[in-house]
Amino acid sequence: MIETSNITYSYDGKKPVLKNISVQFEMGKMYAILGPSGCGKTTLLSLLGGLDSPSGGKILFDEQDIEALGLAVHRRKNVAFIFQNYNLIDYLTPRENVALTSKLSSWPILERVGLTEEESRRNVLKLSGGQQQRVAIARALASDANVILADEPTGNLDEHTAAEITSILKECAHQMNRCVIIVTHSGELAKQADVVFRLKNGELAQ
Amino acid sequence: MNFAKRAFFYISRKKGKTLSVFLLITIVSTFLISCFAILDASGRLVEELRGSVGAAFYIRANKKVITDGTGGMTVAEQKIHITEEDIMQILECGNIAYCNPINYGYAKSGQITFVPGEEDTAENNMGQITALNYSALAVDFAEGMISLTEGRHITKTDTGCILISSAVAAENGLSVGAKVVLESAELGVADGEYVDSWPHSRAKTEVTVVGIYEVLSSDTRRAPTAEKRENRMFASLDVLVGLQEGEASVYTGEVGFYVNTPDSLEEIISEVRKLPGIDWETHFIRTNDLQYSKVSDSLQSLGDFLKLLFVCVSAVSAAILTLLLLLRNKGRMAEAGILLAVGIPKREVVMQFLLEVLPVAVAAFALSYAVSFGIGDFLGKHLFADMPHDLVNERFLQTGLDGFAVPENYINIKTGNVIFLFGCQLAAIIGSVLLSSLPVWRMKPKEILTETN
Repeated sequence: MIETSNITYSYDGKKPVLKNISVQFEMGKMYAILGPSGCGKTTLLSLLGGLDSPSGGKILFDEQDIEALGLAVHRRKNVAFIFQNYNLIDYLTPRENVALTSKLSSWPILERVGLTEEESRRNVLKLSGGQQQRVAIARALASDANVILADEPTGNLDEHTAAEITSILKECAHQMNRCVIIVTHSGELAKQADVVFRLKNGELAQ
Repeated sequence: MNFAKRAFFYISRKKGKTLSVFLLITIVSTFLISCFAILDASGRLVEELRGSVGAAFYIRANKKVITDGTGGMTVAEQKIHITEEDIMQILECGNIAYCNPINYGYAKSGQITFVPGEEDTAENNMGQITALNYSALAVDFAEGMISLTEGRHITKTDTGCILISSAVAAENGLSVGAKVVLESAELGVADGEYVDSWPHSRAKTEVTVVGIYEVLSSDTRRAPTAEKRENRMFASLDVLVGLQEGEASVYTGEVGFYVNTPDSLEEIISEVRKLPGIDWETHFIRTNDLQYSKVSDSLQSLGDFLKLLFVCVSAVSAAILTLLLLLRNKGRMAEAGILLAVGIPKREVVMQFLLEVLPVAVAAFALSYAVSFGIGDFLGKHLFADMPHDLVNERFLQTGLDGFAVPENYINIKTGNVIFLFGCQLAAIIGSVLLSSLPVWRMKPKEILTETN
């Protein structure tokens, strides 16, 4: 379980983007965080993933403070990211991108997210947006991380592909017992989540 | 996937970027090695010139101005008088490699008809003899006015040997090894005509032609037969003694002393001037640094220019290399952010960036090392082809200027220098990569991703 305890965050030290947020995310569930642009959704996700540190409060993973554990260790062992713009390494193939986070064979995971054998050996830049996002999901799944943090994972995708990706993420939470936390604008995507949070004026409400 | 594997994939798949770094490092290395080699060669040349070109001083006779009763003045040539004992004392004054005493005289021969000069007659058809220890050191040979074409030069151990011109050899059917009998003679003027004024009974001596020279600089003077350059005979010192035109171990023409160290020439001369046995009223010393100072100054200027050029090339090269690596790694920050986001430690990200450049740099160093040899060879042949020859040298004394081959490759690329240059470049490369990787160390992954997305 990953939880936040009274976390605050401010870019300038004056106006807080996040105010005393305390929330728990459990394994086996898919969470959606909704909110307008600039409300701090991505910042919250970054804090959960150890990409940044909160101005105040703590983030606990399995009751252990991730700052004490080490943010790099937390990122490597506990969480995996899926970004809106995929963030794949452009000189690697899908298999090699997945291998960044796993020592296991990449192909079964890529097959599971819908890539063909030939596509798995192509340069990632020669894949469509949907295929690239599948690779990003496969990379997240291949890691041992129990928490998957997805930032607008369907933001750049067409409706059909977005539905497929959502389905994969849902499967990931329910069948693989992972905790999937999605930050999104999309009401459609949020409807698929088990729990929906709304972030407004720095405060998180269910 | 470890950082080495990622670095390998980057090098093998980002061929354009890898090639640009490879070419830049190759060009920079080649420039630096070549500049360093030329700088080293010019420095070495200046040093070697001190020891090889050498310098000389000559003891010659003062000219005497004689005033007659009517107020008219004539300039009379005087003779020096230097003995073996004087020479031994002079040789002790410093690091003198060779001594070349010269006596002058004239000779004619029933076997030789000399090339006719002004008002040539059977009586005045004679040639001048320059008797010396080393004919290669004679001014005409050393300055390239005449050149040995056959046979060899006269050296100190020779006796009964002469060199004749190709014109005289052709005219009289003589070749190297020919035996010729010379007779005493002396050029004089009587009633406005050139005559043989030898006052005593003529002595004869048999000599062997050991070499034939060619006159390269044409003699356009209106001169009597005996004074024409083609009719000069270079002989071993005993020849004039045999013709009774000189005393053994007494030198009356001039005596040349050749030193290895031009910069010590003045010091040696001042010691020589202190010798009590030589009358400095009738003798004077002429110095000749054999163009050392001229060449040395030019080389010093070249060396200074090259030093400046080397500093400029190094600075510009380092700046370009650093700039390229900085720009290249700046474009890699997004990737660094991704790698950090998936939990790869900062240290491994920077190690990957380093490992992407180092093998390319090593390959570029290897190529530049090979290319530099070609450039060094080319520059060596063209920049240093006309360097002055070593005049104070046993081989030169035997063969003269003609025995010298053009130096094939004066530029020597020293492994030590190359390793030093590679080390400096490697340090600059590592420094540039580390500098450009500062954001990876200092920024949080979120900041990097926000800035690059």
